[in-house]
Amino acid sequence: MTDDIRTLSEALARDPASAAFLRLGELLRQRGEMDLASRVAFRGLERHPRRVDAHELVARIAIDRGDVERARVAWEAVLMLAPGHPGAQKGLGFLCYRQGDVDAAQRHLEAAWKADASDQSVSAALRNLRSAASPAGTAGQGRATRVITPPVGALQSPVPPFAPRAADAKTVFAPVLGGPGESALLLDADGYVLAGQHVNAAGEEVGASIGAQLSGVGQEADRAMRHLGLGAWTQVVFEADLASIAMAPAGSGVILVAVPRTTPLGFLRRVLTRALERATQWLERGV
Amino acid sequence: MSTPFGAILDGLIRHRGVTGCLVVDERDGVPVDVQVQVGLDASVLAALAASLYRRARRSATTAGFGEAGFFELVAEQGRICAAGRNGLVLVVAAEPRANVGLIRVDMLKALEAFA
Repeated sequence: MTDDIRTLSEALARDPASAAFLRLGELLRQRGEMDLASRVAFRGLERHPRRVDAHELVARIAIDRGDVERARVAWEAVLMLAPGHPGAQKGLGFLCYRQGDVDAAQRHLEAAWKADASDQSVSAALRNLRSAASPAGTAGQGRATRVITPPVGALQSPVPPFAPRAADAKTVFAPVLGGPGESALLLDADGYVLAGQHVNAAGEEVGASIGAQLSGVGQEADRAMRHLGLGAWTQVVFEADLASIAMAPAGSGVILVAVPRTTPLGFLRRVLTRALERATQWLERGV
Repeated sequence: MSTPFGAILDGLIRHRGVTGCLVVDERDGVPVDVQVQVGLDASVLAALAASLYRRARRSATTAGFGEAGFFELVAEQGRICAAGRNGLVLVVAAEPRANVGLIRVDMLKALEAFA
């Protein structure tokens, strides 16, 4: 494989406009050299913005790096260039699937299945979705927080990019939360809950609603930092009448911790730090 | 021309590491009174801090946590603290070395003047 990489690199150096970047980027991805693979893919994409396979390569690399938003953009670009493209439908289907957007996941996966009914991973995912959508499968669950793990290998990646199990998602922060009224949520860049839960005084699980409301604070902080020249934001803490809330960036999303108003702010910061460590551990190692 | 907030800002700017303090109209982000060190753009800070505070306050209310009081944004090279009442926001910009606990206490005490 090393010889192939060398040969392809030389070919690309001789003719930067050649399509050798596709094979080279894929080989680098398979070797786990993600930074290099990404650079090769993006340079290729700059020269060949209308090549579907270039966008597909970018999407595969993004998935391996855990950058789901980049993957989503790449697959959407594929669909713009090649409407109905089964690979992109499948990729988007699994992304939506993982983020709990059941309707969109079903729409994309059904389109992928119609294009290639022999794809076992798509069939399995559709069966899983339909059983989860049945009354027995949804008992006690809110739609926005329902997360189902796609079959291993479904995203055409040699290593499953998302090791944690959905079953652990709600209780992942239990070890770092102590008292009553404390909660933690891990949110993705769109404000969807990836892990954790928040139960209100009435005993209802309202994590999805809280996450959607408060993730905007992180986005506002990003905007402020671009203008103020203070570097990246590392923490937001604010006190409200009923709770004190702390947030920190976590990957492309944010982590959010809420504690009763009586909890000292210093303690809240410690809980936030521990929750961030826990989230990182869970995302990277699945434990 | 002096404003009712001059004494509050004079006290806050004396804290170690504080580079600026302002009273800002929460709705439109316009500074009402300002005490900043040279190099700090008070208009930009006022607009962004008011917007951040407003967003946090609205989000906290909508999420069911009630009205937001003290707010702090920590960044790699500094921090922004804010606390508001009656449509005005008291904003403090500080270096990372600042004693934020002390600043918070003084800001909350100063808010009484906004009543």
